[in-house]
Amino acid sequence: MSNPFIKNKKIFLIYLLIWIAIGLIHSSILFFMLDQEIEKVFLESLIYNFLYLLLGISLWYTVSYNTLEVYSTTKIFLNHAAAAIITSGFWIFIGYYLLSKVFESDLAYKTFLFNSLALRFMIGIFFYSVIVAVDYVIIYYTNFQQKLFREAELNALVKEAELKSLKYQINPHFIFNSLNSISSLTLSDPAKAQDMTIKLSSFLRSTLSKNEKQKSKLSEEINNAKLYLDIEKVRFGDKFDFIEEINEACKELEIPSMILQPLFENAIKHGVYESLEKIVIKLICEPQKEFLKITVENNFDPESVPRKGEGIGIKNIQNRLKIIYNHDNLINIERQKNIFRVNIYIPR
Amino acid sequence: MTKKIKTIIIDDEKLARDVVKSYLRKNSEIDLVGECSDGFDAVKKINDLKPDLIFLDIQMPKITGFEMLELIENPPIIIFTTAFDQYALKAFEVNATDYLLKPFTQERFNEALSKAIMLISEKSTSTKKIASLVKHVESKKEPLERVVVKMNQKISVIPIDDIHYLESQDDYVMIYSSKGNFLKQKTMKFFEEHLNPIQFIRVHRSYIVKIDQIKQIELLEKESYKITLIKGNQLPVSKTGYQKLKEIFN
Repeated sequence: MSNPFIKNKKIFLIYLLIWIAIGLIHSSILFFMLDQEIEKVFLESLIYNFLYLLLGISLWYTVSYNTLEVYSTTKIFLNHAAAAIITSGFWIFIGYYLLSKVFESDLAYKTFLFNSLALRFMIGIFFYSVIVAVDYVIIYYTNFQQKLFREAELNALVKEAELKSLKYQINPHFIFNSLNSISSLTLSDPAKAQDMTIKLSSFLRSTLSKNEKQKSKLSEEINNAKLYLDIEKVRFGDKFDFIEEINEACKELEIPSMILQPLFENAIKHGVYESLEKIVIKLICEPQKEFLKITVENNFDPESVPRKGEGIGIKNIQNRLKIIYNHDNLINIERQKNIFRVNIYIPR
Repeated sequence: MTKKIKTIIIDDEKLARDVVKSYLRKNSEIDLVGECSDGFDAVKKINDLKPDLIFLDIQMPKITGFEMLELIENPPIIIFTTAFDQYALKAFEVNATDYLLKPFTQERFNEALSKAIMLISEKSTSTKKIASLVKHVESKKEPLERVVVKMNQKISVIPIDDIHYLESQDDYVMIYSSKGNFLKQKTMKFFEEHLNPIQFIRVHRSYIVKIDQIKQIELLEKESYKITLIKGNQLPVSKTGYQKLKEIFN
């Protein structure tokens, strides 16, 4: 970590201001309490405080090499005690040497300087302690910030990985069954086979590309889901109908990509696959105050006994919504007699 | 061989049936007598028409192809046609002659068909032998989720959760459930192996009980216990049964 007193302008400015304040206090004491002459006051304050200002900046290096990660507490304490003595000693010696050179003829002042050496030494130790303490605070604070940042980064990565694992995946059986339908149509109705091939391709293409994106427009999602239903329609013929009631205002709103798809797949799987009667799948999108409400409902045969795999698709959507919007109850399921209904609330 | 082979196609998708139909058309030995789009219809048609050969899809409304087979007394030669490859092993356990993965070619289809035709013309016991061999390697499978039964021409699907207990009755097992009592041609051993051991326990040679149906266990006389179910029925518990119960409830 580089020296923040040099690197960071703001810290340097504050540091400078503090030293100016110390210099002024120093001057006031000399001028008002000790009745020193103004030029001596000015020069002494300037020499001593400017000197420590420079020393203080370089103390950063003694601190950054004396961290708890490297040395034991006693070792650090001893290192700093030695450094404090050397720094203060050096400081009072240079100050004393320069001032006594400037005011060489003024014996009284030189005596004053000499007699105050002990006190100045103590002040030097005090400055040392304060600066070192501040340096440590800066180091730990920066480390802490970095840690928080890294943690946040890690969380974001985990979240992304989770979202990826919850992403919709094309059901391979759907693909194979569709291919089988195409294979059948090539014998009986080649034009329809071609049409279905194109629909299947478009669906696969948009599903694969959508999975890269986190969100897309509702209208795009509906189009993709319709492609899916069209393909299933070829397979199941008259076994289901699709009705949509979509408020125009909703169409441009963004929703997490590929959340409609699994709902339709669910309706097909538990409604159409399991029933001998005709199934009606209904999509309703209506804007609400804070949410976009999306409802997918289908009738089903209440006699049919659920098989495994029910609810995994819905559970995945629930988890995805929870991660994306940080909200728990954005999906609910209603089961009335022979109607199965899923409501999703997308925050606007 | 002058007699044609009576064949039925069972698949819930018309287009899938069409492929099989068009592949079959090229073979003069085949007499297509019926098509079914669900398992219930299939049970009826097979019993009525007594086909020699069926093409059977697995995933169908109401009951699966496998469940349908359980309801037929003398199953014909079976060729499975499905998009699911995870059922292949199970298919051979039920004596399937072949297993066609959708979509399949005419060549692959013909291969399966000639195998079937050969078996039919032999009408030998060889399939049965293979079957018994396969049964031995039958691996531990996922627990049952429902049981399909047929009584007086009516087919019922019983969810496992509705079952209270099972009682052995000679070659059959009587299933007591909240939907009523049903007789199923299976062994106790089958149910012991295929019911989820977390939910069910065999307390006696003749009884398997759903654990959450047990209300109390009491000592009858020395080393002889009985359990009372929530519905009030009382069933005997064998010594090993009691050991197992003790393990669960402790």
